Amino acid sequence: MLQHELLILFLILAGIATIVFVYVFLSSWRLKEEGGGMKKPLKKRFWFSLILVVVLGIFATATLPRSPYFQYAHESPAKVIHVDAMQFMFYMSEHAIDPKLPVSENIELPANQMVEFRVTSLDVNHGFGIYDSAMHLITQVQAMPGYVNRLRYTFKKPGTYHVLCLEYCGMGHPVMETSFVVK
Amino acid sequence: MESQGMKKITSVWIITILMLFVVSIVLGILMRLNQGGVIQEQTLTFYSNLTTHGLTMIGIWFVAGMMAVNYLMQRYVRTSFAVNLTALIFTVIGVLLLWLSTFAGKFNAAWTFLYPLPFKDFGASSWATTLFLISLAVFGIGWFIWCISLMANILKKYSLAEAFAWQHLRKEHKTDTPPFILITTVTLIGIITCLIAAVIIIVLFFAEMLSQGRFVNDALLMKNLTYFFGHTIANEMLYLGLAVIYELFAEVSGRPKWKTTWYVSLAWNCSLVFILTAFFHHLYMDFVQPEGLQIVGQLASYLASLPAAGVTVFSVFIAVYRTKIKWSLTNVLFFMGIAGWVIGGLGAVIDATITNNVVLHNTLWVPAHFHTYNAMGNVLFSLAFFYWFSTQSLENIRLSTAAKGLLVTLLIGGIGFLLAFYIGGSDSVPRRYSNYPASLKEAKPLALMGASFAIVYLIAILSFFYNISRRCLKILFASA
Amino acid sequence: MFKNIVCFCLAFGACLQLLAQTKVSALDEESNIYHRVFDAPLTESVSGQKGFLSQQYERKPLILALVYTRCTGICSPFLLQLKDDILFNLRDSSFRVVVLSFDPRDSKADMNSLQKRFGLEGNSQWLFATTDSIRSLNTSIGFAPVWDSLRKQYNHEALLVGINSGGYITKKLIGMRSSHDLEKMVTSIHNVFSPSYRLPGSSTLFSCFNYDPKSGRSTPGLGLLFVGLPAGLALLIVILLRLMVRKQTPAVPDK
Repeated sequence: MLQHELLILFLILAGIATIVFVYVFLSSWRLKEEGGGMKKPLKKRFWFSLILVVVLGIFATATLPRSPYFQYAHESPAKVIHVDAMQFMFYMSEHAIDPKLPVSENIELPANQMVEFRVTSLDVNHGFGIYDSAMHLITQVQAMPGYVNRLRYTFKKPGTYHVLCLEYCGMGHPVMETSFVVK
Repeated sequence: MESQGMKKITSVWIITILMLFVVSIVLGILMRLNQGGVIQEQTLTFYSNLTTHGLTMIGIWFVAGMMAVNYLMQRYVRTSFAVNLTALIFTVIGVLLLWLSTFAGKFNAAWTFLYPLPFKDFGASSWATTLFLISLAVFGIGWFIWCISLMANILKKYSLAEAFAWQHLRKEHKTDTPPFILITTVTLIGIITCLIAAVIIIVLFFAEMLSQGRFVNDALLMKNLTYFFGHTIANEMLYLGLAVIYELFAEVSGRPKWKTTWYVSLAWNCSLVFILTAFFHHLYMDFVQPEGLQIVGQLASYLASLPAAGVTVFSVFIAVYRTKIKWSLTNVLFFMGIAGWVIGGLGAVIDATITNNVVLHNTLWVPAHFHTYNAMGNVLFSLAFFYWFSTQSLENIRLSTAAKGLLVTLLIGGIGFLLAFYIGGSDSVPRRYSNYPASLKEAKPLALMGASFAIVYLIAILSFFYNISRRCLKILFASA
Repeated sequence: MFKNIVCFCLAFGACLQLLAQTKVSALDEESNIYHRVFDAPLTESVSGQKGFLSQQYERKPLILALVYTRCTGICSPFLLQLKDDILFNLRDSSFRVVVLSFDPRDSKADMNSLQKRFGLEGNSQWLFATTDSIRSLNTSIGFAPVWDSLRKQYNHEALLVGINSGGYITKKLIGMRSSHDLEKMVTSIHNVFSPSYRLPGSSTLFSCFNYDPKSGRSTPGLGLLFVGLPAGLALLIVILLRLMVRKQTPAVPDK
């Protein structure tokens, strides 16, 4: 899972930062007399900043093209699912949903084929977060009134997927849930 | 120099802030306990507490930075006591109105009050939304006057170019701008900007309310404005804390004062631009936002870390590394706060990457990172100032064993409570859930872990509260 | 004079009627998206040649317009607007337009005279046709005209259907719509992906962005000014402050 890798990455980085801070602190704390401070600080500052620029630059160029806005842009979806979020439920249907008379259907999606969710909201902002059967968040998009967001995704594993609301939408926010099946 | 009046009003600020802080922490702990299933709050109570917790915290740490900056600014320019008092009165009235709207009116649209939720706020009294918006307006007016007044005080002495320290970008220059003035200028402009954004939001809200449905606002526009305001103010309050560090760190360490150099000037001028464009990262999951702005969001978020790390953090390293320093509780808190700020920043940069945001957006990762640089960063900056302020007249303040114990308690509490958030985020636990669905197995134990460590953190804060308030009361009631 | 006033009132009434037509339930256009269009047999109005809809969309993506020749209501202005938009605003020959009659009474000759009336006879981008399987086609695109026996007219919406070269419906437009919306349809039949779109709604105060299908980018709307405004205003305030306080003498010397 990406998010577990991110936690490990974060803990490593936070650990390195802590070590550096403790090291710098102890270098002063343990000092009996004047220690002379850092040698050539401007040069060190320059290299530190440059390394930071390079690392962030690599991260940006590696991740930006994989942003969800560009994924599957040149493919046709095997299925289109309309999603209308409403305080405090999701309507999902293979057909367009009439906002005055919203009706939900049981959704079955094909595995290993790209599907498109057309997500909108009938009242306030909601989130459309898709969780796999082990309750790991795999992708999401916001549901905004007046707009339709198109989320494209290919489900690799068959099973039951859950949908949770991922934008605070009022006191019923935690009970807003639905699910669908991938076969 | 600092006047007696300013000393007294600063004492009142500190006591008020610490009291509100304790209440807000308690609300936070109650929320985590409710999520853990130990206590059972009504859902409505949970969410109105969430709203109170969020806005009170933002409010108090903002004014904590402002009043510290105001106090120290008197070293360079004269500031107005009347304006400071006005800001205090407006803040207290604002908090009272806010609490009335949330505790009595059950307003529960969270501190971001994302449009159009306040119009569809289940369970809230009909007057609560209006009262909430009025309380925001009261905060806004008080703080706006304060910012404008401080800005005017700076500009009486420094030209605009000097306030921005542009002369330091050239090789030769006649006048020096202290880093404190530079950072305060940059930060105040950022704050004025986001307060204007807040005014626009409130006007648009009232316009829709008064039009009685004849027109509606564009949800995307409102979201952009909301995060422009919310993200920026949450970041600027950290910068206020940094201004205090630039002014005090060397002084309390018994070292020569920090000077503005070309890179300090450049870094802070760049910060102003990055801070005002980084908020786009709040809209990554709104695909309706043009891709260009999403990319700007990621780049600005990355770039914002450069001047912070390359200049401020590195300057602290230079000031400390192999340097004989008079360590007291003040500079240890500053140093720890910088570390907390950096680590929170790491969590933020990870989340500000669009591909990661897909699985982290609105999970507990978000409160994890901002609690890191608030509870373990900005709060420590402010506590350091509070402590320094309250012990100014005392001689030979050394790091006592009790103080060391206090710091360790604070660290253990803070780290444990934050780890529960980070692990929750990586386990896909959504934020702002009053109760967790049974399928999210890790969520409840993590909430309990968070609550337990937060209690440890609270104990440390209570001890600070007692010590600092006691001394502040003495300053307040001392005869001139 | 009186006659003029009556004429004006009638014209005004007709305009109101048209405006009312354009107000549609926002999500109606969402139905049947990515459904395959029914492969209807067509009879071309000029040559009388027989063929299938699939032969058309396989060559180039299509915009399908549904009209009938005896319509006294929206069909004529609708077709006129479509023609003007495509000829003068879009100037894009990457797709074809099929104007199909949904009235079984319409003959090949009726459609031919309609084509002549609109001056589109020699235009190879346009194809006027009739079909004998209109019901199946209507079902596949979610079009439901209702016969009003009193007025001897169909109650129907003005409908454009965008069909890509695979025969899938990529977008629908209901009512008289701007050339801007038509451009969106053209990008959609070329399978250009835009991650989101706006629902038609009339009473939004300030819009944040307007999607421009030509460039595939969103252009700033009036509302975006409000996002830029605070920074500009803040800077202006600071400059004004400096101008205002500069006249006074410095209050306190440095410590």
